Amino acid sequence: MPGSFTQSELESFLDEALPAEDMARIEKALRKDKTLAGRLASVHGRRNSGVHSLGDIWRRARVSCPTREQLGSYLLHALGDDLADYVEFHLRTVGCRYCQANLADLEAQQAETADTVETRRRRFFQSSAGLLRKGEGGI
Amino acid sequence: MTSPSQSDSLLVRRIREGDSQAWDDLIARFEGRLLAFAESRTRNRAAAEDVVQETFIGFLTSLPNYDRRRPLESYLFSIAAHKLTDLLRREGRRPTMPLVPTATSTSGWQPSAEVRAASSIARSDERRELEENALTAALHDIVEHWRQTGQWEKLRCVEVLFVRGWPNKEVAKRLGISEQTVANHKYDFLAKLRAAVRRQALPEDVFPELYQQE
Repeated sequence: MPGSFTQSELESFLDEALPAEDMARIEKALRKDKTLAGRLASVHGRRNSGVHSLGDIWRRARVSCPTREQLGSYLLHALGDDLADYVEFHLRTVGCRYCQANLADLEAQQAETADTVETRRRRFFQSSAGLLRKGEGGI
Repeated sequence: MTSPSQSDSLLVRRIREGDSQAWDDLIARFEGRLLAFAESRTRNRAAAEDVVQETFIGFLTSLPNYDRRRPLESYLFSIAAHKLTDLLRREGRRPTMPLVPTATSTSGWQPSAEVRAASSIARSDERRELEENALTAALHDIVEHWRQTGQWEKLRCVEVLFVRGWPNKEVAKRLGISEQTVANHKYDFLAKLRAAVRRQALPEDVFPELYQQE
């Protein structure tokens, strides 16, 4: 990220879509920089006025994101050179949070034990399945 | 990453019918990536798990409003982003954003002429969605063409120009190409999108970025 924050980066910030370290940098700057807070409010207002942003649309539609299968192949060094270079760029330079999360998940799958994963999934299921039954036939 | 897969659509249909096995399958399919997304910010496993738990609850709560044309993963990430933002605000890490600029701000919300024009057009949510869908389709076509024809430099260049918003000079430096080449890629890209907007008879003033170079 160059020195100051661009409008596209502030838009991404509002959507929690920048890489974690850039999100933290903006949060830190916002605490003491009223001008930046004003710019952020402007971005928010511009959005609400109905103006479309190309960056917003690109990011929301994930126009250039590799598939999860391609990310898996990237991990296994099984992609062609051109595509592998692009995936690296998309992850590191563009800093796509969603693809970074998918990649981290694929890496973690190789490291976690089945018991750990199963215990966690049970907890998610038990805390939400009541809502599912409540919505039966009506969701 | 374009549209929901058939398996996702089927999964959502089964969940809508109250199928608990389908709900279990959805959790198994998506919890890992959601957890990674949240943990990259919380830096705390337990807090990240809470965010994911709230995300799944939020998904079921909002299911009646879920548009099946929307990719499931993107929808779940958007719920997770909201839950994460709430958590970071509660923890005081993420400052509450002023909806209007403060009196001392030097960059107050003074919409430019093009924004004022757009805001003066009464448009329904459906209309805005239609505009966004049309542009999304055009973007997919362009990016797919670049991929198929191996125009990776163009894709890299345009992606950082618009997704990160970096200036031409910075993009040229990062990609090791000339500023003129960056300008050319940008010009070609915007010309293609403008043509798509004209073909669809969409209003030009709601896409101000497309006309900055003209």
